[in-house]
Order: sequence, then C-alpha cells, then structure tokens
Amino acid sequence: MFGLIGHSTSLDQARSKALALGFPEYAEGDFEMWCSAPPQLVERIQVTSPTGKTIEGAYIDSVFVPEMLRRFKTAKRKVLSAMELAQKQGITITALGGFTSIIFEDFKLLKEQQVRATTLDWQRFTTGNTHTAWVICRQVEVNAPALGIDLQRAKVAVVGATGDIGSAVCRWLHQRTGVEELLLVARQPQPLIDLQAELGTGRILSLEEALPEADVVVWVASLPETLSIDTKNLRSPCLMIDGGYPKNLDSKASGETVHVLKGGIVEFHQDIGWQMMEVAEMEKPQRQMFACFAEAMLLDFEEIHTNFSWGRNNITIENMDLIGEASLRHGFQALGLQPISLQALGLQPISLQQVGLQASLAANQPALPS
Amino acid sequence: MATLASPAEASTQGQACGNLPDFGCETYKDAYSRINAIVIEGEQEAHDNYISIGKLIPDQAEELSRLARMELKHMKGFTACANNLGVSADMDFAKRFFSPLHGNFQKALAEGKVVTCLLIQAILIEAFAISAYHIYIPVADPFARKITEGVVKDEYTHLNYGQEWLKANLGTIREEFEQANRENLPLVRRMLDQVAGDAAKLAMDKEDLMADFLSSYQESLIEIGFSSREIARMAAAALVG
Repeated sequence: MFGLIGHSTSLDQARSKALALGFPEYAEGDFEMWCSAPPQLVERIQVTSPTGKTIEGAYIDSVFVPEMLRRFKTAKRKVLSAMELAQKQGITITALGGFTSIIFEDFKLLKEQQVRATTLDWQRFTTGNTHTAWVICRQVEVNAPALGIDLQRAKVAVVGATGDIGSAVCRWLHQRTGVEELLLVARQPQPLIDLQAELGTGRILSLEEALPEADVVVWVASLPETLSIDTKNLRSPCLMIDGGYPKNLDSKASGETVHVLKGGIVEFHQDIGWQMMEVAEMEKPQRQMFACFAEAMLLDFEEIHTNFSWGRNNITIENMDLIGEASLRHGFQALGLQPISLQALGLQPISLQQVGLQASLAANQPALPS
Repeated sequence: MATLASPAEASTQGQACGNLPDFGCETYKDAYSRINAIVIEGEQEAHDNYISIGKLIPDQAEELSRLARMELKHMKGFTACANNLGVSADMDFAKRFFSPLHGNFQKALAEGKVVTCLLIQAILIEAFAISAYHIYIPVADPFARKITEGVVKDEYTHLNYGQEWLKANLGTIREEFEQANRENLPLVRRMLDQVAGDAAKLAMDKEDLMADFLSSYQESLIEIGFSSREIARMAAAALVG
C-alpha cells in the first residue's frame, strides 16, 4: 500500500476545502485550532497501471498550512504526526509532499524518530525527489527542442543547484542530456564549489548573471518574494521549468517568448477517483499530481518497499533511470507545454508518448534529443 | 524540493524545552502542586470509575478490578513524586478541576450507560493521560521521569481495554458514543485551558498537549472502527466545542 502526505496551500484554501468536503467544523476553525488539529486520512485510492496491476493507497492531509512555517514546533509536529499515522495504518511506502519533505530536511527531523510510542521506520518513507528530478530533466529534454532550443548548444541555469533535486538535475543534464553548459546558482558558495568539483563542469554565477545567458532555467528553489524578473533581459526563446514549491514562477516571469512550465508534475494515463489534487490546483486534478507522490505509487507498483529517495544529495543517475523506466511503464507522463503556447510560435507539439517510448528504448544510453 | 527561506529564524519558538526547568524553584513547585494533584486525583478517579464500570458489566468485573488496582499503584507513585520535590498536592483544586467530568460520569453510571462511561474513562481520560505523560517525560525531574515511564506503559493497557470493548460492540454504540463525545470532549479542552499556565511552567506546551491528545484520541477511534469522516467530525468537537 502506498501513502501520500500532502497539505493545503493556505489556511483560507484549507478552510474552503474542508467545507467542500463536508467538514464544516474545520472550515469555521481559527488558526490556533488548525495548529492543534491532528492529521487526517482523507481518502483511500486505487490506481491501475497500463500493465494491469492495481495498487491501493491513502491520502493523508497533515493539516499543515504554510502559515505554520514560522512555528517550528507546530510544523515539526504536523510532519511527524502525519508520518506516524501513515505508519500506523500499515502503509508500506509514503511520499512526503509539498512542504513536508522540506520541513523534514531543514528542521532535521531525522533526529526525531520517536513519536510518542511509535518509532518511525524510515524505510517506509520517501521524499520522492528521484522521480521529481527525473521528470524535470524529461521536461527539459522534451520541451526545449519543441521551442527550437538545441540543448547541445544551450546554456541551462539550475537555480538551487546544490539542493537534493538541483544536484541530481545537474548530474543528469551533464551526463545524459549533454547540454553545452550548466550555470550553477545557489545561495551558499561552498556547496556550489563542491558541486562544480563533483560535476567537473559548470559555471558558478549569481542569479542576475545567469538569467540573461540561459536558454533554459530550471528553478528548484523557493522564490524570494522580492524577486522580480525583467523578461526583456531573458534569451528568446527561454524555457523556465518551475520545479520549486509553491509553484508561482508564472506570476514573476511570463511573456511571449518566455515559456513557464510547472516542473515535477506528471499526468497519469487515466483518471484517478480522488478529490485531493484539486487542493494542489492542478489543471487536470483527476490525472495530474506531483512527481514525488507518483514515486510512492511507482515504488509500490514495482514492490520496492524502501526509502528510495532519502537524505540529501544521494540521488544517482542509476536510480533516476530505474524510476524513469517505471514511470513510463506504469503510465505517467511529464507535464509538457500547452499546445497553444507552441502553436503561437508556429511549432508542432511533440507527442509525449513518442518521446516516452524513445526514452524507454534508450533508457540505458545517453538520451540526447534529436 | 526547495529549502525554506530562513529555517534559523523559524526555529526559535519552543527551543526552551531543550533545557530542563529548575525543579527546586518556588514557581515550579507552586505549579507542580496543582499539576501533580490533578494526576493523583485522576488516578484515584480512574480507580473508582473502573470499579463502577465493573458493576455495569459484571462479567468484566474481575478484569476491571485488576485495571483499577493498577491506577492505585500509579497514584502512590505520583504521590511519591510530590514528596520527592517537597511539594504538597493541592487536592481541593484537583477535585474542582475534575468535577464536570466526574459529574458526567456519575450521571451516565446512574443511567447504566456503559458506552458513555467507557468513553469518559477508558478513552478520553486515558488518551489524555498518555499524551500528557509523553510530553512530561522529557521535561520531568529524574525521579518523576522513571515513575511516569512505568505508568505510561500501563495506561496503554487501559486504553486498549476500552477500545476492544467498544470495537466488539461497534454495531450498537454509535449513537451513544457520538452523543457522549459531543458532551465530554469540549470539557477536556476547557480543563486544559485551566491548567495551561501551570503546565507551561513545567515546560509543557498547551498546543502540544492538545495536539497530542487529539492524535491519541483519534488513534483510538480508528482502532474502534469509526470511519475517517466520523473521526474528523468527532475530533473537531474538542477544537470548536
């Protein structure tokens, strides 16, 4: 059985969702009430892969909202309690979605294995970051050529390059995609120097220096509220993959030649009878979800019951291959640019299924876009 | 995923709990006199309540009397904790503190309502005790810590007893259980509000107490067999009631 731990994007949204789902008591509750409320197992889900295999899972709302980020103890308790609930429900692999994995990592919850009488078994949890990184790389490989960007001649900026997902994306884009140059952007200098040494390539730049040079920008850091991007200074065309959380890059940068794509989102081959992705404001909530959630499903389909993505900077190319192949086999597709955005440029949308098939065939070889 | 903008700033709240309180200072001992009294009174009430429930379900009387004896042992342990700190428990305060819940239990007992009695004693009070003890253990003085660690294990046995009985009778208890939940769960929050200041002096945070209690309570409801929707609705009574 797989599990997904998620949350609403704001208190207001959580309240209106509670009302819609028939929990009026929660809809009326104030912030303090939401802080004390325990996690809820909201839905049980069944998904069937194109292979015919069916698995069952559960969606757990941690009853966390981003407004709680500044209350260290509350945020910590929300994540640990949701994990405790997942484990007590006998769920074998659970993905930590949204801010959950960020809180886990940044608040160092690895030290908090004991939750009341429960010792959390880390093997039952995954950040889902390996699949997210793989999906973001596929989104670059499929959508950049569709915009006329030749990746072998392209400069790709990775903002948040030293993070778990960012470093994995850099490894893949260098070793597999073979982009011309990686522009490495992150807040702290030393991890950037270490990453550059590990990759044996890449140029360390500030965000302001990197943006005007980049044909593709992969964002895997949360955006500073004060950030403003002058689209006139960007390359034309420019593909921006918004892989951070929350996904609000389209409010900062969009224009005729700037194409913003929600990063790390996948679409399943058929509708899933669930309500919860509406909370995440997916365009097709019945089919689309965060790639990290899909990783829990994939691990369950493949019967890999272990913490596949765990810790920081442990994502290997081999594991990205493994999860990528599983992703294609079980009917997931990386979200692509809207056909309308491509038609405006006089370009034809690429069939994602076709690309998926190529990727599947060439999974163990460098997947250079043709 | 991205990283938080400023985890260092965000992590200032609640860090005081990392340091143990000064167990000898007068402020601590004053607060302890009420919190300790509540615990002693709670264990005494639990003893009496289990004996009473045994009268409603005579075939269980022997088992319930065994559980009741454990509560008396706990009471003695907590009395020793107060002596160890040189504190005398404020039992008058504790009696007043428990009186609304005590009244509801006695009323249900007189009406022969087993479900209500079990909900009040074996689920609500036990779930609250378990979560409060869990929060207390890391900030307790070494003597009390050892005692409380022993007690908390026993309390799970009691919670489990209530759960199993209610689970076996789930088909017939729903209506009475929901009604009893509505009438008694808000009392727990009011009781917590009354002692939040004292608990804080013992380095126990009110929000932690409420949240952990609700987690334990919810877990019991899952165990008994209620649906997610029923559970969410019932737990909300503690928060908005």
